[in-house]
Amino acid sequence: MKNARVAVTAMFLMFVAIPFILPTPSWAVDRAEAEETARLLAKLLKAGRLVIEQNQLLIDDQHKGNKGFTPEVFEQQLVQEFRQQTGIDLAKIQSTPASISLPSLAKELLPAFVLASKEVVRDAQVVINQRGIGYKNFIPATYGSQAAARFSKQSRVRLKQTTLEPRNPKNEPDDYEASVLKWLSGRPRAEAYVSELTDQGQTLRVVMPIYYVPACLTCHGEPKGDLDISGYPKEGHRDGDLAGAITVTAPLSLR
Amino acid sequence: MDTHDPRSHNRWVFGLLLWFSLGMSGCGLIYDAVQHVAPVSSDELGAICRRQTVRIGMAAEPFRPFVFPAIWTDEGARVTGLDVELGRAIIEALSQHCGKPITPNLHLVRFRDLFSLLNEGQLDLFISAVAANVPSPTRAGFAYSIPYFYNGGISGITSRTETAELVRANLRAQVTSPPPDGLVANERALAGLTIAVQEWTAAHLYAEANLKTSRLVLCDSLPAAFESADAATAPAIDVILGAEPVLEFMVARVRKDWRLLTLDTGKPLFLTRGHYAVVMAEESYRLRWFVNNVLFKLDEAGKLAEIRRRWLEESYAFPRRAATEGLPLDVAKMVAHYDQGKCRVAPAR
Repeated sequence: MKNARVAVTAMFLMFVAIPFILPTPSWAVDRAEAEETARLLAKLLKAGRLVIEQNQLLIDDQHKGNKGFTPEVFEQQLVQEFRQQTGIDLAKIQSTPASISLPSLAKELLPAFVLASKEVVRDAQVVINQRGIGYKNFIPATYGSQAAARFSKQSRVRLKQTTLEPRNPKNEPDDYEASVLKWLSGRPRAEAYVSELTDQGQTLRVVMPIYYVPACLTCHGEPKGDLDISGYPKEGHRDGDLAGAITVTAPLSLR
Repeated sequence: MDTHDPRSHNRWVFGLLLWFSLGMSGCGLIYDAVQHVAPVSSDELGAICRRQTVRIGMAAEPFRPFVFPAIWTDEGARVTGLDVELGRAIIEALSQHCGKPITPNLHLVRFRDLFSLLNEGQLDLFISAVAANVPSPTRAGFAYSIPYFYNGGISGITSRTETAELVRANLRAQVTSPPPDGLVANERALAGLTIAVQEWTAAHLYAEANLKTSRLVLCDSLPAAFESADAATAPAIDVILGAEPVLEFMVARVRKDWRLLTLDTGKPLFLTRGHYAVVMAEESYRLRWFVNNVLFKLDEAGKLAEIRRRWLEESYAFPRRAATEGLPLDVAKMVAHYDQGKCRVAPAR
C-alpha cells in the first residue's frame, strides 16, 4: 500500500507537478484546460468500454435477433456511467454548474466523442442484431478502437488505445507511449494518469492506464498461448495487471 | 427564286417507307442479323473501371468456410472466408486491368436474393459456394466462371448413430445385379427420412427433384436447420443435406455432435458432385472472360490450391482473419437485422 502511494506520488511529481514548478510560459492556462479535457476524454472512452462490457452477454446472445441495444440506449448508459464517475452530466453539459469547473474545450469535445461512439454503435447494429451468431467481436477493445479513430478524424485531439502487446498493429505504442507503459507496468495499480508536454512544449500527452478485470481474462488470461475465441493467443494476464492505456495527444495551439 | 426538285421529295418518301418497314413486323430478324455480325456488348468491364467499384454479392447466411458470419473488427464490420479471399483476388486483378484502384461494394444479402439482384443488374457478380452444374429452371439465365472449387457436392449429416447406420444399410441392400441407377440408389438410401435443406440451394433443388420418398423440411439457413433439429420439434429432422465442404467443416469444428453420412468404406456419401464457380449475368461476356482468366492464373500458380488449404485445413479463428483480411461490407446493402430464420415442412410433392 505504501509502495503504491510512493509510486503515485512519483508519477505526480514527474509528470504533473514538475512542469508547473518550472517557469510558467504564456500557454500555461491552455495547458490546464487541455489536460482536464484530455483526462475527461480518456474517462469517457473508458466509460464507453465499460458500457459495452456490461452489455456483452446481450450482444453475444445468439437466440435473440434485435437486441434493442441502439445508439440511443448506448448513449443513455454512457451518460449515466460518466456521470457516476465524474459528476458531470453530459445531457446538460452546456449548463454545467459553476461548482464543477469544466473547460470550454471539454464542452466542445466530450459531445463530439459521444457522437462518434453512437456512430460506431449504429454501424455495428447489423452485426449486433444477427440471430444465430454468438460471438460477434463487438467488445470493449474493438468499440474503443473505432470510436477513438472516428473522433480523432474529426478533431485535432487524437485519442488512442494502446498496449505493449497490441493485437491490432494500429494500436502499437509510439516511443513516448511505450516508455510510459513500461514505466507503468513495473508499478502497482493506481487510478493516476500521466501528463507531459512534448515537442518543445507544443503538444500535451496524457496517458491513462487500463487494468485487466476478471471479464477480460477469458481472452487475455491463462493458459498463456492458447487461442481465445477470436483466434489470438492468450497473454496469460491476471486480474489487476496493466492492460494498456488510453492516450490523448493534444496540440496546445488548439484555438 | 425558289426551285422545287421532285426527286428530293421522292427520296424523303422512300426513306420514310423504309424506316416504317424496318419498324414493322420482322424487324426482330434484322436486329438479330445485326447482332450476329456485331454482338451487342454492355462492356461491363469498362463500366467497372469507369465507376471504380465492383458490386459483389455474398450470402448473409454463413457458408463456413466459404463465407463466415459478418463480424465487428477494429476497422468496422467485416466479412471473411474462402470466397472473400477469391473476391479480393478478383478486385486486385480488376485494379490492375483498370489502372486505378477498384473498391468493392459488397452486398451481403440472403442467398435466394443474390440471383434476383444479379438479374436486376444490381450486382456485377456473386460468390457463395454456388455449384455451377445444378439442372434447375431457377438457375436459368445465369452464367458461371470456370470452377474455383472442384471437390464440392451434396452430402448429408446426422446427429444420430442409428440414422447413419440405416442409410448405410439401405445402401448395402442395393448392391444388386444389375445395380439401380445412382439417383434411385440415393432416393432409396434416404427413403422415409425427414430431410432439412436450405431453401434454393443446390441441396434443396436436388432433394425436390430426386428424393420423392423423403419428407422435406425447408430452412432459411443451415444454422436454422441445426436450431430446428436441436429443438426436436415435429417432424424431427433426421438428416441435413447441404454442400459437403460446408457440412464437413461444421461437423469438424462447430457442431461436433453431428457427423457426415458415410459409405461402408468410411468415405463421405456424395449424392452428386458440385463445382463451385463465380456467378455472373449471361450477357457479361467480357467480365466472364476476365474472371475466368483470373481463376485460371490463380490455379496455374498453385494459389487456388493454397487458398483452399488455408480455409479448409488450417487451424484458425475467423474473427482474426476478418480483422486482418476481411472485406468491408456496405452496411446499407446488408439485410437489416439478419435473422437465421426458421424451418417449415415443404408442401407435398
